[in-house]
Amino acid sequence: MAEMTDGAALSGKPAGLSPAATEYILAFADDEHMVGARHTTWIGLGPFLEEDLAFCSIAQDELGHAIALYTVVAESEGAAGEAGVDQLALLRAPDAYRSSWLAEWPCNDWAQAVVRHWLYDTAEALRWDAVAASTVPQLAAIVPGAQREEQFHTRHAAQFMAQVCTTAAAQIGTAIQELLPVAHTVWLPPVDEAAALAEGVATRSFAEMEQDWQALVEADLSKWGLPAALLRGQSASEQRQTDRTVRSPGFTPFHQDLVEVFSIDPAAVW
Amino acid sequence: MRVYEVFLKRAGKEEFRHAGALEAPDDQMALTYAREAYARRSEGAQMWLVQRANIVAADPADLATNQTKSHRHNDGSVIAARRKQKRAEAKAGGGND
Repeated sequence: MAEMTDGAALSGKPAGLSPAATEYILAFADDEHMVGARHTTWIGLGPFLEEDLAFCSIAQDELGHAIALYTVVAESEGAAGEAGVDQLALLRAPDAYRSSWLAEWPCNDWAQAVVRHWLYDTAEALRWDAVAASTVPQLAAIVPGAQREEQFHTRHAAQFMAQVCTTAAAQIGTAIQELLPVAHTVWLPPVDEAAALAEGVATRSFAEMEQDWQALVEADLSKWGLPAALLRGQSASEQRQTDRTVRSPGFTPFHQDLVEVFSIDPAAVW
Repeated sequence: MRVYEVFLKRAGKEEFRHAGALEAPDDQMALTYAREAYARRSEGAQMWLVQRANIVAADPADLATNQTKSHRHNDGSVIAARRKQKRAEAKAGGGND
């Protein structure tokens, strides 16, 4: 994580992000935060020790990405350090978060957790590529470290899926069907995406990346012997999450869990 | 699942050392899991995995007969004691030699 935050600290002074750039980075940070936090609920519950360690290590990486992204926004608002990150990560009202329902979804079933890991990380890798040449230097600076980790995450997801698509194809098929209503929400664009693209925060639109993502996940399914059509039939316009300002049904209690200890004494030093 | 033995080597001249073992369905997943289980805190710069099934292991009984051959152990103490005694004798003799 130190590696991740070092990049964001390169600037030394607030970047003065535009509202659109802030929205763009928060959408990414909140997705990373939520998916990382959801993944961590599997600590000690993974199907076997080795997988448990790997899955929770990936969760920790995602939380590291979230910290790095929140730091970019916090420093631009003159709120450097942990307090600035805590404010963004924990202390906003639910409707101020910008996460997708795919990242927020509980996935209390292991098959769902694995499918979400594969869908989300395939998307995440595309998103890091799209900000590699960002005009926000603090954002571009954290990309190489994140990409190195993401390479491992997508490899792990593909390896595990390849195994379980052979041994538990029916369960995986069911999990994909269950996640279908939220799968595409990761491609709901950040608020005011057009303005962010115009100023070069990212070099590709979410709509473009979604097409690549669809091709990638369908190719994976075919490779693993499952019907590619499993992930079709539901475009972004049919999602229950209509935009990133809307929280999923289970968000509020989950958010309360996340801030429960922090709220006891917000000034405590850990 | 297969059992793999994990060996790690730090940067520099250190040798590979046994770090532990793990279970994985194939070589590639074993590498993935070993990275997390044994090297996530930069414990090594290089890593080898060996399937336990590929290890040629000796019968402990064959090694047991070598446990009691004290005559094969030379830690230099006999020679050292002899030299010490010679020095003491020389000193006692007045050092005229």
